[in-house]
Amino acid sequence: MNPLLDQLLVAFLILCAITFFVVRMLRKRGKPGCDAGCGCSATKLGTADKRR
Amino acid sequence: MTIAPPPVAETTRNVAIAGNPNCGKSTIFNALTGLRQKVGNYPGVTVERKMGRFFGSHGEPMTLLDLPGSYSLQVRSPDEAVARDVLLGRRADTPRPDVVIAVVDASSLERSLYLVAQMLDLQIPTIVALNMVDVAERRGIIINLPALEEELGVPVVPMVATKSLGMVELKQAVSRQLLAAPKRLLPIPEPIRAEAESIAGELKVSPEVAFAEALLLLTLHDQALGDLAENNPAVVESVLAAQARLRALEIEPLSALVEARYEWIHEVCSRVVHKPGESGLTISDRMDMILTHRVWGWVSFLGAMTLMFVCIFTLAQIPMEWIDNGAKWLGQWVSTHMPESDLRSLIVDGAIPGVGGVVIFLPQILILFFFLGILEDSGYMARAAFMMDRVMSSVGLHGKSFIPLLSSFACAIPGIMATRTVENRNDRLATILVAPLMSCSARLPVYALMIAVLIPTASSFAKSGIMLSMYLVGIVAAFTMAWFFKKTLLKSDTPMLLLELPPYRRPSLRGIATRMVERAGIFLRRAGTVILALSILLWALATYPKPPAGATRAEAISQSYAGRMGHFIEPAIRPLGYDWKIGIGLVGSFAAREVFVGTMGIVYNIEGEVKDDTSSLRDTMRSERHPDGSLVYTPLVCISLMIFYVLAMQCISTVAVVRRETNSWRWPLFQIGYMTALAWLGAFAVFHVGHWIGFQ
Repeated sequence: MNPLLDQLLVAFLILCAITFFVVRMLRKRGKPGCDAGCGCSATKLGTADKRR
Repeated sequence: MTIAPPPVAETTRNVAIAGNPNCGKSTIFNALTGLRQKVGNYPGVTVERKMGRFFGSHGEPMTLLDLPGSYSLQVRSPDEAVARDVLLGRRADTPRPDVVIAVVDASSLERSLYLVAQMLDLQIPTIVALNMVDVAERRGIIINLPALEEELGVPVVPMVATKSLGMVELKQAVSRQLLAAPKRLLPIPEPIRAEAESIAGELKVSPEVAFAEALLLLTLHDQALGDLAENNPAVVESVLAAQARLRALEIEPLSALVEARYEWIHEVCSRVVHKPGESGLTISDRMDMILTHRVWGWVSFLGAMTLMFVCIFTLAQIPMEWIDNGAKWLGQWVSTHMPESDLRSLIVDGAIPGVGGVVIFLPQILILFFFLGILEDSGYMARAAFMMDRVMSSVGLHGKSFIPLLSSFACAIPGIMATRTVENRNDRLATILVAPLMSCSARLPVYALMIAVLIPTASSFAKSGIMLSMYLVGIVAAFTMAWFFKKTLLKSDTPMLLLELPPYRRPSLRGIATRMVERAGIFLRRAGTVILALSILLWALATYPKPPAGATRAEAISQSYAGRMGHFIEPAIRPLGYDWKIGIGLVGSFAAREVFVGTMGIVYNIEGEVKDDTSSLRDTMRSERHPDGSLVYTPLVCISLMIFYVLAMQCISTVAVVRRETNSWRWPLFQIGYMTALAWLGAFAVFHVGHWIGFQ
C-alpha cells in the first residue's frame, strides 16, 4: 500500500473517532436522560419522546 | 365519497394510564403503543414519564402517557407527586389528560379502588381497566361487572393485559365520541364539602379541578402548607382557618376523608364482589412460607444466585467460542488480504481485538439478564427486598432502597433513577452514593477475564464461586458505606418499610426474550460505536510516536503515548502490584469499565504476543513478566484488580446521571473521589495483607 495513502486513511479514522466523541458530548449537553450508550433500559424513553 | 384519515401529526386525545404500582399499567402501555419498555412487578418501577402514540378503533391517533404508580393523590414520594400533578393539570410540560385509563387489580379490588375514588373527583372522563381478572378467577373471586359499572358510573373493561385480552374493548372504550366526566358519587362529610367548596371558589385553577384541589389542600399538614404560603398566602390562610373550624367540630380532614372513601369502597365491594371463604392458603402464600422463611428464604436466595452464576459460566461457553473463532478468523482474513501497513495494524491489532474482546462476553451478559428477568417477572424481587429489609435497616437504609440497589446489578443508571421512590432525601442520597458499588453487567467482562487468568483450568463451580464473591464484596462495601454515610454526612431517621408482595406469576418468556434482544442491541451498538472509537484511539496512543528503527515491539509500546501514560501513573499503582501496562488499562477504562478488556487486548497485541483471541490474551497475561523475571499477574494481582473494579467508579454515564438526579456536581465529584480512594485502598489491602499471610 502507498505509505501516504496508508497514513491518510489512518489519520482519517482517528479523526472520525475523535469527532464521534466530540459530537456525542455536544449532543448530550443540556439534554435530560441518557442515550443508547449508557446501557440502561430507560433508552426507549428518549425514542418515545422524539416520536411525539 | 371517501373520508380522509386525520393527519398523522394530529392527536385527537391525550390519554393517561394511572393506577397502583404493579397493577399492569406498563404492560397495557406497551400493548397499546407497541413501544418496548421494562415491565417489572415490584412497586415503583415506573419512575419516568413515558409517552407513546396509539390509534383508536377508527384509526384516530392518540397520545398515551404512562403515569408513575401511586396509591393515593396524597403523595408520599416524588413519582407519586408527578402522577398527581399531571392529573390536576399542574404541570406546564404535560397537558391535562382528556381521558384516564384507571388500571385496577381485579384480585385486590378493594385496595385499588381508593385511587379510583380520588380520581373520580377530578372530573376527567375515566375508564376502569379491570386487569388480572384471570388471577381473580383462579382465586374464586367473582366480580359483577354491570354492577361495578353502575356503582362507579364509568365504563369498566375486564382485561388480562399480559395476554393482550381486552385490548380491543379498551381501545373501543377510549375511542368513544362522547365520554362524560364522572358524577361525584363519593359521600363526603358535609362540613368538609362546605369548606372545600368555599376554598375552591378562591383558587385560580380550572373549575373542573378546583374542588379536588381544595380537598387536597384541606388534608395538608402545617409544614406542607407553609411551603405553599409564599405563593398563595391568602389561600393558605383560608385553608388553615377551615382546618381549625373542622377541628373545632372534632373532624380531622385527612382521616375523615380516608374513612369516608373506604366506607364507600367497602359498600361498593360488598355489592359487586363475591369472594370464596378465606380459609385456604393461596399458592403464593405457601411459596412465601419457604421463600421468605428466615432460614430457607436465605438458602433459596443464595441458591438462586449460585445457579445464575454457574449458568453464566457453563451455558455461555459455546457461543463465546463461536464469537472467539469469528474474531480470530476475521483477524487472519484481514492479515492475509492486506499488505503490511499501519491501516492493517489498526484493524488487526486495534479494532478487532478491542471490539471482539468485549463482544465475546455478550452471551454471559444475556444470561445475566435472562435470570434477572425471571426473578423480576415472577415476583421474587419483592420477596428479596422484603428479606433484605432487616439488613437494610441495620445499616440505616430504608427497605425501598433495596430495589434500586438490586437494579444496579444490571446497570447503576436505572438503579439510581429508581431511587426516586425513596421518600427521605438523605436515604435517597445514601442509596445513590452506594448504588455503583453493586457489580453491574459492565464489570462482568473484567471479572471473567481476570478469573480466566487466575484459574484457567478450574471447574465452572470454582469460577462462579469467585464471581459470586466479587458480587458479595460489592454488596458488603455498599452496605458498609451506606452505614457510614447515614452515621456521618446523611443522618436521618429511617421510616418503616411498607411493601406490596405481588402474587407469584409465571414469567412471560416473550417479555424476557424481548428485553434480551433489546439488551443485545444496546450492547452491540455500544461495541460498534463507543468501544470501536475508543479502540481506534487506544491503538493510536499505543502506536505513536513511532519508535526509532531497530526497536523491539516491547520498547515501541513503552515509549508510545499510552506507554508514557502508563509509566506516568505507575508510581500510584505500583503499591497495588500493577505495572504500567495495567495502568494503560485503568486509564483507558475510566469512561467505561469493560474497555479494560479491549485495552489489554490492544496493548498485548501491539506488543506482538497475542494471536487475535481472548484465550491467547489470557495465556499472554498469565505468562507476562516484570523486568526482574517475576510474574505480573500473580493470583494476588488478579484478585486485587478485581477488587479495584468492584469498588471504583469508572463509568462516565453514571456520573452524568448522578449529576442530573442530585442537581449538583458536588455529589458526583464526591462519589468519584470516595470510590477511587476506596478502590485503591481495597486493592492495596488485598495485595499486601495477602503477601503478609503468605500468598503470592
